[in-house]
Amino acid sequence: MRRLRAVPSADAAAVSDPFASDLIRCGRGDQVAFAALYDQLAPHIYGIVLRVVRDPSQAEEVTQEVFVELWRIAPRFDGQKGTVKAWSSTVAHRRAVDRVRSEQSARDRTDKESQKRITETDVVAEAVETTFDQARVRRALAQLTPGQREAVELAYFGAHTYREVAVLLGVAEGTIKSRIRDGMIRLRDELGAEAP
Amino acid sequence: MTSDLDLHHLAAAYALDALDAGERIAFEAHYHDCAICSQDVRDFRSTLAAVGELSVSAPPASMKASVLGQIAVTRQLSPRVATRTVVTAPERRPWLLAAAAVLLVFVATTAFVVGRGSQTDDAFASQLEQVLAEPDVRLVDLPATSATTDGHFRIAWSAGSGKAAVLADGLSAPDSGLVYELWLIDDSGAWATGMLDAADDGEVHRILSLTGNPIKWAITIEPEAGTVSATGEILFVGDA
Repeated sequence: MRRLRAVPSADAAAVSDPFASDLIRCGRGDQVAFAALYDQLAPHIYGIVLRVVRDPSQAEEVTQEVFVELWRIAPRFDGQKGTVKAWSSTVAHRRAVDRVRSEQSARDRTDKESQKRITETDVVAEAVETTFDQARVRRALAQLTPGQREAVELAYFGAHTYREVAVLLGVAEGTIKSRIRDGMIRLRDELGAEAP
Repeated sequence: MTSDLDLHHLAAAYALDALDAGERIAFEAHYHDCAICSQDVRDFRSTLAAVGELSVSAPPASMKASVLGQIAVTRQLSPRVATRTVVTAPERRPWLLAAAAVLLVFVATTAFVVGRGSQTDDAFASQLEQVLAEPDVRLVDLPATSATTDGHFRIAWSAGSGKAAVLADGLSAPDSGLVYELWLIDDSGAWATGMLDAADDGEVHRILSLTGNPIKWAITIEPEAGTVSATGEILFVGDA
């Protein structure tokens, strides 16, 4: 069932997107605009990638790939489909997960190390410095049940499929699917659909 | 079994990149045409971008120069042009099938005349004729999902004989180690059916033996070594 939300998304987000104008200029080949965008987005993008792949040198490699990809596809950015930050985060996460999974499948082919896959639930680290946005996200995450939060984090930061999460936790696939869905809906409702 | 309703429930897992290859392809084939799922994916991606605030981390300082150096020598894609109309399956009118069959044969034979005319091509031509002669043959166009993807796929599918003839032309060669992959999408998910090697001339002529009850067909590019988890976007898709 779909819940009603008071928060507007899409159009309003596109209009208020602080990076949209830079990105549109990137789409026209403006490398200076891209450099500015890099400064704004790099800590965010690198952070997501590092969190997923964990190894700093690999994270650096993947992050570079992400930025080159963002440059390449910039002319096709569609503000109606979300903000620049959401779009770039999506590209970054997908790349990071691809890297983890392709290494995983290469390992699976050569030996049976699949069970050695990271299994710890890594609770979002308590940062020393907390920005306003971070505090807001922490409050939102705290609204999830422990099971929902664990499932979402294992999937998103652990780069596991929901089926793998089910195996890791010894819980039925359907249950994990529901926890992920309910958890994401809760997060969305807490944070609003619009990314900061 | 995965009904449309179940597919709606995959939006969150999709946004988390937590679907396995088959489900991801099935969901992607579904969600662009589904207002609810498109909105969900959009919302969840925004939500996750916000969650990313928690992992913010300063990248190595040397990275910026390296990225800027790379983009300076990287060609950008062209923007999407005009509106791509949603392609729906043609009605099953016999005359249309006949006309399309003639076209398929024409496309195929032209390729042979221009091309190598090798034994494999002859074998393909006769198998294609057999598929087209099946009473239940269905012809499907798989247009590119993006204006910047080169080429075109067509499939002649006969459920009765379990044969699919796959034709493509104008394809660009995938990077080394990658090949085109055909996916059969049915009620229960997406199934990898076969790796399709594009010849140097960007053409594919393949006969596949398949079982299933496809709703859609889709093409991605995948690693040659086998698809443990699909990494490719859907490049071509068509309603079966």
